[in-house]
Amino acid sequence: MIKSSELDPNFKYEIAKEPGGENIMKCFNCTGCTVGCPVMEIDKSYNPRRILRKALLGMRKEVLTDDSMWHCASCYICFERCPQDVKITEVIGAIRAIAQREAKAGKIKIGNNKPLFDNLFIDSVKSNGKWYEAGVSGTFMLKTKGIGGAIGYAPMGLELFKKGKLSILPHKIKGTKEIKRIFEEVEKK
Amino acid sequence: MKLAYYPGCTLHGTAREYDASTKAVCKAAGVDLVEIEDWNCCGALEAIFDKELSMGLSARNNFKAQKTGLDLVIPCSICSHNLSRADTAMKKDEAFRKKIERALGEKYHGVKMKHLLDVIVNDIGIDAISGKFKRSLKGIKAVAYYGCLLVRPSEVSKFDNPENPMSLDNLIRSTGADCLPFTQKTKCCGGNLLMSKQDYAFILTKKLFDEAKATGANCIVVACPMCHMLLDGQQTMIGKVHNTVIEMPVLYFTQLIGLAMGLSEKELELDKNMVPASKLIGSIGKEAKVEVKAASKAQVAEAAE
Repeated sequence: MIKSSELDPNFKYEIAKEPGGENIMKCFNCTGCTVGCPVMEIDKSYNPRRILRKALLGMRKEVLTDDSMWHCASCYICFERCPQDVKITEVIGAIRAIAQREAKAGKIKIGNNKPLFDNLFIDSVKSNGKWYEAGVSGTFMLKTKGIGGAIGYAPMGLELFKKGKLSILPHKIKGTKEIKRIFEEVEKK
Repeated sequence: MKLAYYPGCTLHGTAREYDASTKAVCKAAGVDLVEIEDWNCCGALEAIFDKELSMGLSARNNFKAQKTGLDLVIPCSICSHNLSRADTAMKKDEAFRKKIERALGEKYHGVKMKHLLDVIVNDIGIDAISGKFKRSLKGIKAVAYYGCLLVRPSEVSKFDNPENPMSLDNLIRSTGADCLPFTQKTKCCGGNLLMSKQDYAFILTKKLFDEAKATGANCIVVACPMCHMLLDGQQTMIGKVHNTVIEMPVLYFTQLIGLAMGLSEKELELDKNMVPASKLIGSIGKEAKVEVKAASKAQVAEAAE
């Protein structure tokens, strides 16, 4: 049961203010996004139409703590097919950004590992200018699977290394200061 | 033809064979590639949801490309999406452009950029490129796998039909290889979920193998290092998890046309693919034999009945 007293009518405006979320209010819930979604085909709990509908109704907490939104594979089928140009893939990104800020502020908990990996990746780009594959993947494995789990991936890492596909050390570009300034500029809201 | 070249992180790492085969094929086709200086990561799929950061990181590469005065070619579908999206935003969104110009202390005027497949199929042209072919690849029965960002969203990638693209199919056929119908050609491999939801990524990729096998393909041809990471790099793991043996070589389209150009396996770094391509390469020109074998198998089955 949805209690209208618990809805946050401002949530849709909050999403629309986030880069990528601008078109959320154009959605008329036709379900076109969901019928073509490859993730929905294997997991019915991931339903982009339902996420959009809940967001538009103002079910803020429920949307922000919905683990399934981290299952979007960013394949852009929904984005391509949406008759209202809602840009659903990017709306999901906008919702994720709000969820991450709320989690940082200690207001909600995110159980999914997706933001952990993404943030490790982004941090490595922030300090090196390029992503540090061995370091990021290794740290992620240790944090999510422990030493035993991480060791399970060692044979694959070794094989990649033998083929000259994996570097032990990070590659740093010269313009890391420019990268830092880009981060600073886009973080200003 | 002279083009600025943005390889992106994977082409200097796990997709090094795509970098090598891109360079070899472009050289043979008379295309000069000038790698842009001190390029950085485009943010890949990990920053794709942080739209401004993703576009900001990508935009720095566009500034570097602008300095060359050349059009830009990008072999990775993800980088190509990110850099193109950033270029459009820099032209249309003044507030965003000012932010990035402030960060980098330069003015942005725009760069023409294309995915490598678009350049080869539409700028060089299939007729011109196939004029450089030295041998027929008859015997190879491929399916063309486009994945996601190579053709979607069509407001960013404009060179082919987003629902039923054909450019890679046509290019494959021009080598003399068969290119079989593949309804999964634009379905997602789940690459973005590989780390956080591996079981889903594996199910999505497994579906691609299932149909490729059902069509009778003996290889899959791709144009994206992330797709290749799943289809080639993770193939053994996917087989293990799903209790099956897949054994499906997955070539970059540059490796395939490189073979038709008569370039060596070493130049195309075919030994760097995780799934060996030796049996596939051995099948080139031996189609008749394979058909005879198939016929005799059918006869055996008939006899058994």
